[in-house]
Amino acid sequence: MTHGEMQLQVDTYVDGELAPEDARELEAHLQECGECAELRHSRIALGAAIRREVPVLQAPRALRLAVREAIRSAGESRQPPRSLHPLGWRPALLAASLALVALGGWRLGLQRAADGALRDQVLASHVRSLMPGHLTDVVSSDQHTVKPWFNGKLDFSPPVYDFAGWGYPLLGGRLDYLDGRPVAALVYGRRQHFINVFLWPGRGGTAGERTTITRQGYHLLRWTTPDYQYWVASDLGMAELTEFARLLRQDDSVTARPLP
Amino acid sequence: MPTELGRFEAIVLPHLDAAYTLARYLTGSEADAQDVVQDAYLRALRYFGGFRGAEPGDGRAWLLAIVRNTAFTSRRRQRAEANAAEFDEQLHSDSVADEHPEAALLATTARESLHQVLDHLPLEFREVIILRELDGLSYKEIGEVTGVPVGTVMSRLSRARRRLQRALVAEQKGG
Repeated sequence: MTHGEMQLQVDTYVDGELAPEDARELEAHLQECGECAELRHSRIALGAAIRREVPVLQAPRALRLAVREAIRSAGESRQPPRSLHPLGWRPALLAASLALVALGGWRLGLQRAADGALRDQVLASHVRSLMPGHLTDVVSSDQHTVKPWFNGKLDFSPPVYDFAGWGYPLLGGRLDYLDGRPVAALVYGRRQHFINVFLWPGRGGTAGERTTITRQGYHLLRWTTPDYQYWVASDLGMAELTEFARLLRQDDSVTARPLP
Repeated sequence: MPTELGRFEAIVLPHLDAAYTLARYLTGSEADAQDVVQDAYLRALRYFGGFRGAEPGDGRAWLLAIVRNTAFTSRRRQRAEANAAEFDEQLHSDSVADEHPEAALLATTARESLHQVLDHLPLEFREVIILRELDGLSYKEIGEVTGVPVGTVMSRLSRARRRLQRALVAEQKGG
């Protein structure tokens, strides 16, 4: 066997792709040949060095959203009755909806499945935003900087307030994607905690009651105003988060109007 | 009852990071990589009906093949515009350097890091390293992704590693 062939065998052996009988033969050879044993050693070190210096990368957020959106719109074009199956391509949710249909709570069931999916989306979005570099697209404590930042990025102009006077400073804003549409995410701080406020124009109707949900150690609050749907997510204690929500609802009820 | 898109979500979507990583190292640019991956996912959605995989692991090589072909197509387009030479197995083989590692070391101008050497490898060598070391694909899967026989996968891997090994040795000596 030539040196080159032997080298190829060592690579194949290190990759675990050498046939068992050839591997046994090579192992015997490695006992005797210092050069090949050295080669094996350096190939193992090389593999480790490559994985260390050339890391697996994380797809950027924008790409992730774009791919999800592509899948979603493919689902819509294949399933025209969207109002009945808003998330029909999610097998678990479809199964859940079907089970509820069987129980007779047909419309209610679909609504609940959709709400559950949205709640999971909000929670996932909040958790993701806490990962390094994901919290804000525009960093500013000035509501007059954050609000115009959304111009041209959304089809509505979200109401933005700073509650620094109450101990909930505005930290910035971010574009997010929930319920099949781009939404505004406003980020507030409270000591070491972050609060994400997600909002987008509602489907009209009267102001809804606030509901609270606790999942995986995070609190979620949701309510609707005549103009907007609100979701608030944080690991802050429920008492403080409720106070924050009260401030937000007060101010929003006075001034907010979506763009016509 | 899993729908077609449910199956896509379960089998193909989880490999987004792997897809991006391959595209990023093949194109060398973050913007190009994003375009390639987005394009590749659209193609994957279109071809998915003909794909028989059922487990999340099954979609990996399948998706990476599409990413790889998409990257090569967009690169060919760019190269056609730049009127550059095609890859040539003989031309790009490092026979002289293989026989005389010291000469190759001297020929390497500044000390390149492993990362830089990888970036400068011909695509056909770079992709087998990524698919093997980062994605952990088998030789057979790499052959399917790159469209070459397993023997060619082996020799390309071996050649690519020889070059990288020299860089690593140089790195360790030079600090």
